[in-house]
Amino acid sequence: MAGKIKQMIDAFVNQRAQGNTVLEGVVKIKLILKGIDPKMFTPESADDPAIIAKLEELMREFK
Amino acid sequence: MNIKTAFSDKTDIQEAVEEIQTQLGDFETKLLIFFASSSVTPDKIADRMEAAFPSAETFGCSTSGEIVTGRMLTNSIVAMAFNRQAIKDSKVEVLEDLNRESHRAFNAFERHFDKPMSKMDPKQYVGIILIDGLSGKEEQIMDRIGDFTNVNFIGGSAGDDLKFNSTHVYANGKSYTNAAVLAILEPSTAFTFVKTQSFCPLQQKLLVTKANESNREILEFNNKPAAQAYAEALGTSVADAPNHFMHNPVGVVYEGEPFVRSPQQIKDNSIIFYCGVKEGIELTLLESTDIIASTKEALDSVKSELGGISGIINFNCILRTLELREKGLTDSYGALFSDVPTIGFSTYGEQFIGHINQTATMIVFR
Repeated sequence: MAGKIKQMIDAFVNQRAQGNTVLEGVVKIKLILKGIDPKMFTPESADDPAIIAKLEELMREFK
Repeated sequence: MNIKTAFSDKTDIQEAVEEIQTQLGDFETKLLIFFASSSVTPDKIADRMEAAFPSAETFGCSTSGEIVTGRMLTNSIVAMAFNRQAIKDSKVEVLEDLNRESHRAFNAFERHFDKPMSKMDPKQYVGIILIDGLSGKEEQIMDRIGDFTNVNFIGGSAGDDLKFNSTHVYANGKSYTNAAVLAILEPSTAFTFVKTQSFCPLQQKLLVTKANESNREILEFNNKPAAQAYAEALGTSVADAPNHFMHNPVGVVYEGEPFVRSPQQIKDNSIIFYCGVKEGIELTLLESTDIIASTKEALDSVKSELGGISGIINFNCILRTLELREKGLTDSYGALFSDVPTIGFSTYGEQFIGHINQTATMIVFR
């Protein structure tokens, strides 16, 4: 399977930023500093279970 | 005037605190932030500042040099007072043991402001973080704060005048080590941030392919020993590479904006940094520019954005301060802040979005 990480990153950025473009940038920088660089992931990127688990945890924590 | 600054370079703590009280006069202080040279006894300064301003919340930290309106200082105490017209509400909490994850502070903020951290509006609230500068925990704490809230936390790592023995944070009468003070403020006016690092990105990229994150150590860039890859990117030898650390750090660059990671030393073939870097991150080689010019440009930009400034808190990297001292430019740097109430200090690390190096992060109040 491929592409799930990009989908999750997009969903996470939307969840956090709610369409605010400044916040979108901040959220993406936070992801980069965590070692998940959004620009490295495309719809063709392999589904790395470790990164998927990390993103699931982040989405769960920000409620 | 709803924000006022004061300072003292008296060596006797009681006299210094009284001088600060005198300078603030009958100003009705609701919140007082102070930065004190490491020459000041930590427990005493925390206690005396709280005693001197009993109706205010007080917090601060030790430094490696201080900044006050128009001046860069050493061996002094600087303070910024806010009255009720400047700050609607505030809450100060302490993370007392940075080795142990705790939600206590976040829970306290949620109770105080009566809303989840995730729902707090970053345009309404600002966070300040002051953290033990020798803890090595800054990136971890900033990372966790960022997981829970969109409120921007800005701040600095406490210093000790380059002795590297012990740094302290202060809150409401007490001094702490291996701790962080977190404060959330609700200013009455608009505010914004400055992050200026006086570096421009070069073309050379260094992908972190192997790192020991807990030690802030990069073992490999681009699948080569880190020191070799860094030297090759500079076009120099490994032996000469440390001579370039100050002027050619590396950074995470997002849309042209660098988040600086400064190399500290070469150890075997790896490089120890002043902040952690994760595997998989692409770093860009940076080149230093003019600190005075770039800071002035950043300040002019926020003045224009806000239409006026009532106060600035400046967290300025000690490496920038050392460069300013070496070039005889501390007066010029201080003068950039001569027309606005300002305090700040020379830090062992700066915080904004994450933990960064060789940067000045500032909160600017309209």
